[in-house]
Amino acid sequence: MFADEKLITVPFDVYRYDPAHGGEPRYQHYELRLAPHTPILTGLLRIRDEMDPTLTLRYSCRSAICGSCAMLVNSKSRLACHTPVGPEVKEHGRIVVDPMRNQPILRDLVVDQQPFWSRYEKMEPHLILDPKHPMPEGQTTAMSPAQVERFKETPRCISCAACFSACPAVEADPAFPGPMALAKLYRFVVDPRDTAQTHRLQKIQTEGLWLCLRCHLCTEACPKDVRPSERIRDLKELAVQAQGGTEAGSRHAIGFLHNIEERGTLNELKLVRQTSGIGGLAASLPQGVRIWRKKPELTQSPPPIEGLDQVKKIYSTLKDDKSEES
Amino acid sequence: MLKHDIVVVGAGLAGQRAALAAARAGHDVALVSKLHPLRSHSGAAQGGINAAVGKEDSVETHIYDTVKGSDYLGDQDAIEFFCQQAGPTVIEMEHFGTIFSRSDDGSLARRAFGGAGFPRTIYAADRTGLALLQGIYEHLGTETIRIYEEWFLLSVVVRDGRVQGISAFDRRTLKVEGIAAKAVILATGPFGRIYGRTTNAHSCTGDGVAAAYRAGAALKDMEFVQFHPTALMESSILITEGARGEGGILKNVNGERFMARYAPHVLDLASRDVVSRAIVTEVKEGRGFPGGFVHLELMHLGKEKIESRLQEICDFSRTYAGVDPVTEPIPVYPAQHYMMGGISTNMKGEASIPGLYAAGEAACVSIHGANRLGGNSLLETLVFGKQAGLAAAEFVASAPDTEIRAEDLEKETAHIQQLWNRTEGESPRALRTELQQTMDQLVGIYRTPEELFRALRQVRALQERYRNVRVIDRSTTYNIDLTDALEVGNLLTLAEIIVVGAIARTESRGAHTRLDFPARDDKSWMKHTLAHWTVNGPELSYAPVAYTRWEPKERVY
Repeated sequence: MFADEKLITVPFDVYRYDPAHGGEPRYQHYELRLAPHTPILTGLLRIRDEMDPTLTLRYSCRSAICGSCAMLVNSKSRLACHTPVGPEVKEHGRIVVDPMRNQPILRDLVVDQQPFWSRYEKMEPHLILDPKHPMPEGQTTAMSPAQVERFKETPRCISCAACFSACPAVEADPAFPGPMALAKLYRFVVDPRDTAQTHRLQKIQTEGLWLCLRCHLCTEACPKDVRPSERIRDLKELAVQAQGGTEAGSRHAIGFLHNIEERGTLNELKLVRQTSGIGGLAASLPQGVRIWRKKPELTQSPPPIEGLDQVKKIYSTLKDDKSEES
Repeated sequence: MLKHDIVVVGAGLAGQRAALAAARAGHDVALVSKLHPLRSHSGAAQGGINAAVGKEDSVETHIYDTVKGSDYLGDQDAIEFFCQQAGPTVIEMEHFGTIFSRSDDGSLARRAFGGAGFPRTIYAADRTGLALLQGIYEHLGTETIRIYEEWFLLSVVVRDGRVQGISAFDRRTLKVEGIAAKAVILATGPFGRIYGRTTNAHSCTGDGVAAAYRAGAALKDMEFVQFHPTALMESSILITEGARGEGGILKNVNGERFMARYAPHVLDLASRDVVSRAIVTEVKEGRGFPGGFVHLELMHLGKEKIESRLQEICDFSRTYAGVDPVTEPIPVYPAQHYMMGGISTNMKGEASIPGLYAAGEAACVSIHGANRLGGNSLLETLVFGKQAGLAAAEFVASAPDTEIRAEDLEKETAHIQQLWNRTEGESPRALRTELQQTMDQLVGIYRTPEELFRALRQVRALQERYRNVRVIDRSTTYNIDLTDALEVGNLLTLAEIIVVGAIARTESRGAHTRLDFPARDDKSWMKHTLAHWTVNGPELSYAPVAYTRWEPKERVY
């Protein structure tokens, strides 16, 4: 229990901006005496109660279930109600609070979540049923605990958008659906009640699945341990299994896999051809020439690495595991 | 002017279910909510939803348990209908896409809950509310419903003896608008923020209930306030009854399983009012831990069970109380959790004004009577949300057009202007804190006339001071200083009704325990309290309890 904790001084620097009413963005400094376990939300609400009622934020449940109070805490996307002040002060000396990224700022810490929700909507986030196979009348669908396990932690998602805020691919490319939307899509793809798995996987292959940078910042940011990056990986695997290499992204992944199996290292030239085809190879010609001039060895087929037999062993073990699973 | 056939206010489970039913009936439906629908407080419900679907269980037993749990104040006809709908409702939610926990045979997993004869609480780990909210929101997306997201309700407009619509504002612009509707369904949830020690979200401020009351609708059984036995110390965050359903036990400072003295048959799984009184008594009589709490022990259940079935509880205990339930007991004490009272409706969700409907925790049908059973509130939101949606749909099919006139908005706009124009005055948050202290200290689990009268004087003094509340924030974008002020006004309005009802009811029944009248008095008090707005405060009257087959008996667990 927290009973014996001593109060500490907590310096807050909070982002303030009201675009509709002019002025420049600025940081406002506040200081409170708080027990180290106190959630940042409690601190911000005390600032509103005792010092400044104009400080504006969204909040509701204060127990990490409504998803309202995601914001940047010392540059990381966090739920304010689920992040204690103590460790932040210890590591950074103060608590800098900013609005989430990748969504326009409405005021102070309140952002317009439309970019987040519109991407979610594009996932067709509802069960799609085949009219020929309706739900069993008067009873529930049978679903084994193992089938429930396949959802992984995705039912824990509270749509707080912390992952969306943390995602560099969202920032770089408006076509990327973002981690939450893809984790949601995964939840429908593995749902035994849903009948649109093929349609969903086909659609997402051309609508942003392969734009994920695999940086795992979403998984790091998620307050509910949903692990979106791992579910995105699963979606890629399911897409390739079901549909093979239909996209540059999936062909790249398949080519990568085969390259390593063959020689234990990458054959860059071959990988470009496998990913983008002969046309892609031709398009990359000027770049290829530049590389050839500087590092001619990169344009040659590399020799197999030493210990290739060990690599092959790993592949064969993985293949055995897969066949046992299915 | 904005106009729809039906306006639903509040987008939690009851509001969404009502909107879905009304839209399916072919009407133009709008859903107005001060939060994004997925941020509604329904999502915080943990333990489960009751349905007697097990082979050994029966609807009959569910009805009996609910009647008994209500301490014979629940309307038995409504309870019968309610329990009959439980199975179909859960099946429907499963078909909508809700992900429930399952048993090995593929059926819905069930756990034991307080006051229930059989394990009939269907669940999704310990986040059943979230699972249902996601399920219905996903399904709602397939219908055409206009969602007014982050709009704040100001009033229900009533003219010529019928509902004309509502007034509300978009929190992003603060522009007050009328939304005309032939029927209005209020599903705005509870008002637990009247108390400081509450499991309720900050947004639970009873905006719809207060608006209905000001518009002339009757409120019912407001004095019945449920305290959940197990909330975390300091934060009052809920620890689900499911923790005891899975085998958790309560112990006092002597290591004694004290519930054996209060409920010898079912121990820790007695009804909530019984367990909460037991904990308060233990602490009052010196058998609590220093700081005033008891222990909830889960350690004996083993790491695997605790971390899979009570995943959120593990996180909450670790984050908000600094204890790991796998290795240590959780310090708990009762906190306000549920309002049995609300807008008086019948089984169809009809309130006392033509065109006005209510559902969910904002409403009082009444099926919970003087004490709600765990697992019955999620069920209520869906059963009576649908009922209200269907009834409103039927009503608007033959109802004449309505309109909102400029004068309908005058009072609300003037109130906001006054708050805005005051250059001196009180902080709404200071008033809220004082109200919460008053209610925590004087209108709790055990009630005395002295304390209740003191509470009434204090609440009325706060209402007087509220006339001088001031909003400091000048922005028209997302002004939460202003919404704080409006919400505190609603809390003060509703607190008074709770206290007045509690003073009048000179008996002890369910969650209402009077130390000066410790017994239930069926001869004088087996009746519902109704409260109407007047200039001099709430005017009380009484209505009979509908009872069909279950004779009142002494309630023993």
